[in-house]
Amino acid sequence: MSDDKLSSLTQEQIKILEKNGCRSSSWDNVRVSSGFDPSQVSNTVFEGEVLIGSMKGNVILPDGIECRSEIRNACLYNVTVGDNCRISQVNGRLMNLKIDDNVLIENVGTITCTGSSTFGNGHEICPLNEGGGRELKMTEKTSAQVAYLTIMYRQEKEFIKNLNKIAENFAGTMLHSKAHIGKNACITNCQTVENVYIGPYSVIDGAVSLKNGTIVSSEEAPTIVGKGVVAESFIFQKGSSVKDGAMVSESLIGEGTAVGKQFSSENSLFFANSECFHSEVCSVFAGPYSVTHHRSTLLIAGYFSFYNAGSGTNQSNHMYKLGPIHQGIMERGCKTGSFSYLLWPSRVGAFTPVLGKHYSNFDTSEFPFSYIDEDNGKSTLIPGMNFFTVGTMRDGEKWPSRDRRKNSDKLDLIIFNVLSPYIGQKMIRGQQVLAELYEKAMKEMYQKSEAKPEYVTYKGIHIKRLLLKTCGRYYKLILSKYFGDILLKRVRKMSPKRIRSILQPDSKGTDGTAEWVDLCGLLCDRARVERLIQDVDSQEFDTFDKLQSALLDIYNAYEVDEWNWFLAQYKILNGCNLASEEDEKLKKFLEEWKIASLKLVNMVLNDAEKEFDETARAGFGIDGASDADFTAVRGTYEGNSFVNKLKQQIKEIENKYEEVMELI
Amino acid sequence: METMTDTLERVIKVTAEVLKVNVSKVQENSRFVRDLGAESVQSIELVAAYEEEFGIEMDEDQALAVKSVGDATRFIDSIR
Repeated sequence: MSDDKLSSLTQEQIKILEKNGCRSSSWDNVRVSSGFDPSQVSNTVFEGEVLIGSMKGNVILPDGIECRSEIRNACLYNVTVGDNCRISQVNGRLMNLKIDDNVLIENVGTITCTGSSTFGNGHEICPLNEGGGRELKMTEKTSAQVAYLTIMYRQEKEFIKNLNKIAENFAGTMLHSKAHIGKNACITNCQTVENVYIGPYSVIDGAVSLKNGTIVSSEEAPTIVGKGVVAESFIFQKGSSVKDGAMVSESLIGEGTAVGKQFSSENSLFFANSECFHSEVCSVFAGPYSVTHHRSTLLIAGYFSFYNAGSGTNQSNHMYKLGPIHQGIMERGCKTGSFSYLLWPSRVGAFTPVLGKHYSNFDTSEFPFSYIDEDNGKSTLIPGMNFFTVGTMRDGEKWPSRDRRKNSDKLDLIIFNVLSPYIGQKMIRGQQVLAELYEKAMKEMYQKSEAKPEYVTYKGIHIKRLLLKTCGRYYKLILSKYFGDILLKRVRKMSPKRIRSILQPDSKGTDGTAEWVDLCGLLCDRARVERLIQDVDSQEFDTFDKLQSALLDIYNAYEVDEWNWFLAQYKILNGCNLASEEDEKLKKFLEEWKIASLKLVNMVLNDAEKEFDETARAGFGIDGASDADFTAVRGTYEGNSFVNKLKQQIKEIENKYEEVMELI
Repeated sequence: METMTDTLERVIKVTAEVLKVNVSKVQENSRFVRDLGAESVQSIELVAAYEEEFGIEMDEDQALAVKSVGDATRFIDSIR
């Protein structure tokens, strides 16, 4: 509302209002700005303190249409109405509200605030473990990283206490006896809205019931709530959309996340750019880019990120013993195939598709890029294979390009890289474990003169003995590519005259020897997390803003930390510093990078080619001419843009190799 | 010295074992996916099984591009 001094209604204004069918038990409690026009107000009841702004301008709707500012057929109880609002057809009442300028409220039931409310801020939910123990006080400031630290670092008791205090303090600042409707919000065709903070530029159309929640929204990232939505105790962050009969209870819908088509959620979190349709979700912690699209899918008591759920995906989190106390972890980039089933507790390594039904509990976290399948009731693992599939490479490219978040103040910090120190350390370990398992299997075979075993078991999963050596080699290949990539990235950044001049650790980075962690999208050196915990515990970071700023520093340090990690790993794996290596060794390192990179591109190309082979054509040409039909619909291998991009990469690898060899 | 025929026989035997099909169904011109019903995840198993049988290391990208028993036989002979 403009800064105009509000004044009591004049007798003339009261006369016009009463003539227009308006009434109030005390007109003295109604105060208006100089631009108030009583002729634009009709059939309205005013009770309690009602303040009304100017009505000279029009309301501009999101689609650009302009409507006359007016108030008609409404009941206003203790409401402040900003400048140029249009309020009409309020079948119940508007009560205890502060409505900003240029707001449209049309054909609604009740929009009220009862008592005092924090509007869902500070509301405690039980993600990941349905049985409790990992409670989170969600707020509109809760990022994927804050949620991860609060939910996963329960061993840090003081830290958790302090994080909860930050959330409580923030929730305290949100405690109000009036609900706020931000400027330019549109609320139409809704039934019940109770204790809901509605951010600026929100568009709420056709919601059935919204209770105890916050809808964060902005001009650059408006939030949409659509038809048939029932939500209670919720946070909808900027740019999210919750539509088409979604039922959301005690859940946070993150920035750019789309929810709809009768999706139901309870005690769950969905961070940046997740997509949730049809499915049922309970006690789930879904990190960025978690996708579930299918009606028959149940996700329960799991942690996911960059995840895709096939239809009929299902998990169990209890065995009818001590209750629903089990939980599962699917590290970033996993997928579950149609009608796959997992029995929690289990932990699935990064970028791993799970096919079939699994009744054993396993931990494959040391084996990224694997396939988990079933063989006559046994859960089996094919380590490393998923790196060579065209899908993984496509995923790595598509995630950053599909970032729907339009706001500049993004909450969730995301490192999209498919290859990172987090994954690299796992491949190093996975390679060692496979070698150890191979040695053990061979030893047992010779010592006991036993027949070659088909499988070996490791942490609950079966791995074909035959694959141990071959798959270990695949990890080595990927690591050669990745290490070379890091060096080349550094060369590009530093533009040295001689490569040797840049082979030192970066003084801004960590020492590279600590484990790396994936803080729900933010890949980082654990040493930095430890420091963050100390700073929170010493009260240095006692607000969400300070915490976010510290997390942003970690995010910005990714490249230097990755570089230092690489140098540290090189020393561990080769016994000497990269900087101390002879020129021949440096050349060999680059040669290995080139060979590995070319091989990997060829392997992915080989996988892509399968999408165009005879088998892929089986469903085409229903009445003959299958090849022509296939080509008309799918195109050709040679003409495929992704394939051509990969082929282009081959040339780029050769060029980069030549360029960097010049620097030795 | 092992002949092409010996290599082929061993490739057929290994292929039948990995894909769990009757050895009589595996011919030189059998294609792994189309004729023997191999699933895509079995391609790595086949590579691993050939490596063990012949005590060789197959080049990763070239090995996965092999599509038939005959191709595998020729590829193995070329690197032994």
